[in-house]
Amino acid sequence: MSVQPEVTQIGEKLRLLQVRTENTKTTCISVLLLMPLLENTAENAVLASFLTHASAKYPTLSKLNERLEELYGAILSADVSKLGEGYRLRFSITCIRDDLALSGEQLSVEALRLLLELLFSPHAENGLFDRAQLETEVRLCAEDLESELNDKRAYALSRCLEIMCADEPFGVSKAELLEAVRAVTPESMFKAWQQLLREATVSVQVIGNVDFAPFENMLHKALELQNGDRAPAEIQTVFVESAEDVTEVTEEMDVNQSKLVLGFRTGMRDRDDGYFAMRLMTDLFGGGPYSRLFMHVREKLSLCYYCSARLDRNKGIVMVQSGIERKNKDAALSEIKKQLKVMQNGEFTDEEFAASKAALCDAFRGLGDTPEGLDVYFAQSLDGAVCTPEDMVKGLAAVTREDVVRAAKSLTLDTVYLLAGKEEAENA
Amino acid sequence: MPDIREVKSERLGESYFEIDHPSGLKILVYPKKNYAATYAVFGTRYGSIDTEFRLNGEEKFTCVPEGIAHFLEHKLFESEDLDAFERYAKTGASANAYTSFDKTCYLFSCTGKFQESLEILLDFVTHPYFTEKTVQKEQGIIGQEIQMCRDEAGWEALFSLLRAMYKTHPVRIDIAGTVESIAEITPELLYKCYETFYNFSNMVLCVAGNVTPDEVLSVADRLLKPQKPIEIERKFHREPREVAESYTEETLSVAFPIFSLGFKEAVETPERSLREILISDIILEAVAGKTSAFYSELLEAGLINTSFESEYFCGYGYAAWIFTGESPDGREVQKRITARIRALQESGISKADFERIRKKLYGRSIMQFNDIDGIANAMVSAYFCKEGLFDETEILQSLTLDEVNARLRTALQTDCASLSVIKPEGE
Repeated sequence: MSVQPEVTQIGEKLRLLQVRTENTKTTCISVLLLMPLLENTAENAVLASFLTHASAKYPTLSKLNERLEELYGAILSADVSKLGEGYRLRFSITCIRDDLALSGEQLSVEALRLLLELLFSPHAENGLFDRAQLETEVRLCAEDLESELNDKRAYALSRCLEIMCADEPFGVSKAELLEAVRAVTPESMFKAWQQLLREATVSVQVIGNVDFAPFENMLHKALELQNGDRAPAEIQTVFVESAEDVTEVTEEMDVNQSKLVLGFRTGMRDRDDGYFAMRLMTDLFGGGPYSRLFMHVREKLSLCYYCSARLDRNKGIVMVQSGIERKNKDAALSEIKKQLKVMQNGEFTDEEFAASKAALCDAFRGLGDTPEGLDVYFAQSLDGAVCTPEDMVKGLAAVTREDVVRAAKSLTLDTVYLLAGKEEAENA
Repeated sequence: MPDIREVKSERLGESYFEIDHPSGLKILVYPKKNYAATYAVFGTRYGSIDTEFRLNGEEKFTCVPEGIAHFLEHKLFESEDLDAFERYAKTGASANAYTSFDKTCYLFSCTGKFQESLEILLDFVTHPYFTEKTVQKEQGIIGQEIQMCRDEAGWEALFSLLRAMYKTHPVRIDIAGTVESIAEITPELLYKCYETFYNFSNMVLCVAGNVTPDEVLSVADRLLKPQKPIEIERKFHREPREVAESYTEETLSVAFPIFSLGFKEAVETPERSLREILISDIILEAVAGKTSAFYSELLEAGLINTSFESEYFCGYGYAAWIFTGESPDGREVQKRITARIRALQESGISKADFERIRKKLYGRSIMQFNDIDGIANAMVSAYFCKEGLFDETEILQSLTLDEVNARLRTALQTDCASLSVIKPEGE
């Protein structure tokens, strides 16, 4: 099915994106707000959960959750993530289609009403966020940040990015962020919230099999009210075109499996610069089971269970991750480099090239089937021209072997990070 | 001609086809209008807990190394020439497989060349190829997978709890086995397991998405040769009512202490019905769901954070009520949850809470019908449990508060409990 989003600019850097999906059971509504990464980072991180745990009308978590249960278990979620050197706050609600409600309730409209209520009428009084709630939220946010340590793969990736981008906003460290989170106050939170509504680039996404008219009315009303004194901030991301030399860092921890992470600069100058070729190159290098890294580091040499490469187009970097035994670090590293050489020399086969292209295109073609899939897809870019999944397929299909070789050649290794197991070292 | 029946849900406006294929395989096809992608799963009712079994007529139970079902899953992708991934690379399908406690599933999704991909799936799953050399190679890869899982705090916390709760049932063993147990695996053992559990009478093929029954059948008719059905007897491990240990702790590099609290249910029969499972889900929501004042109390007291979850955990021969999360004081959480359950057993769940929770579960059950991967995997599970795919929404409507409160008072016994704590290093 072809996905045709309707995009309306409601104000400056304020857009409404609607997609009708047929035959789906849910309506998915998201409000996405993008701020410069270093602007109130800590407050924004806390805001995501503060605003979705209570509001003026539903001042406790129990009250709010009762409301969600009445809406047939509507799923409310919020998170923050880096989008290049922007910080994206995502507020989403998903509910079942109106006609599946047992007593004819207008679920989608009620869900949107709730989401707007949470965003625009927080649990606050006289310019201060509720102190008791804030105390809990600060603890939850800090514990959430610290818990990344439990996921060694994510932890190792974060550490590598912090080291690699130490001189760029992107490298903002978890430790700094944690300290700032613990220091937020009811006043700083309220100010950050006002600033967020005034300065963020905003995209509202409504996706599902619904009548859009009532949504448009409600949204226009709610957003126009906010639109009065809006002054959207410019968000710019530093793209480092190539690495000067390789930084190597090893850190020890009591883990059974060591994690090897390699950070590459791609040479991209912005998120669209040679994107399709770079995407295909990354996939052929370390995407599916047909990729060079999977076939060689895992299957031929049995060095690991996973070895994969991922492109972050918003920052112009490629990260390679693998879980290995510590004593195999050099073997894995040299094999990964060797496979990159293969890419740069164009020594991959036509079959591998075709397999990667087919698999990537296939994945984008299936995106339009569910509101949830489209919601995640469109949330990757909040302004500029909208690129549909079909546009992606077209762009990828046009990439040639030469484009891939060129993309591979523009990769330079910046950082090699190893999270090493302690006990293994003694045995090695 | 195979026997084809349509199964419909008026409430959801959805339907699928149930086919008894002449080969002996059950095939379920769920066409989704306006969908671009198709998702297929070929599953066998064979998982990590099936370590002791015998065929009808056999005198003795066969005992196999732990982790062999998962090992077999990895090895089945190989053949004498091209492995399955290399073949899928030509169709563009995205393929994978997984092994759980009670099943092994091989799957792919695609938006084009569906029949070519289905042919690959049916072909490689029905053609095992195991040699000494390929078995050895896999021991390295799976060894790394096992090491990786031992570092995953949530996974380790679950198995630490299962080892504390269960004395004999194989659910206490990691799905992938151990580095020692997989070292015992040989090609002969793999063939023995394959021939037992990969019989069509123990399997199901489920397809959902942009597909028709005819498209599936034209491939199945060509590839699937009739098999003689077999009867497998799984050992029903008579698990003692008491837990193995009431408290256990270990150390990992985690940020906060992680607790897993399990109340072991005494089971007289191997399996729970879907009705019992849904009632249990309602009870867990009432005890400590996010709407309960109890949940907010724990949160405000700093005893839990947003990682707190509960689960009704059951399978062939085991059932337990599990609460997990991060807490500075797991024992205090246990004390409070126990008191909360006892108080609720005394007072009963209120009508208002029951209705609200039921409404939520009804909505969540409908949401599952968006994703073709969710649908296809749910069809596999439902078939192996001998339930229909649409039964959940109907059962939810027919539940009564009385039966929920009755189960709360009988099945959730607070005296058979285990608490497992994963502590950060240096504490």
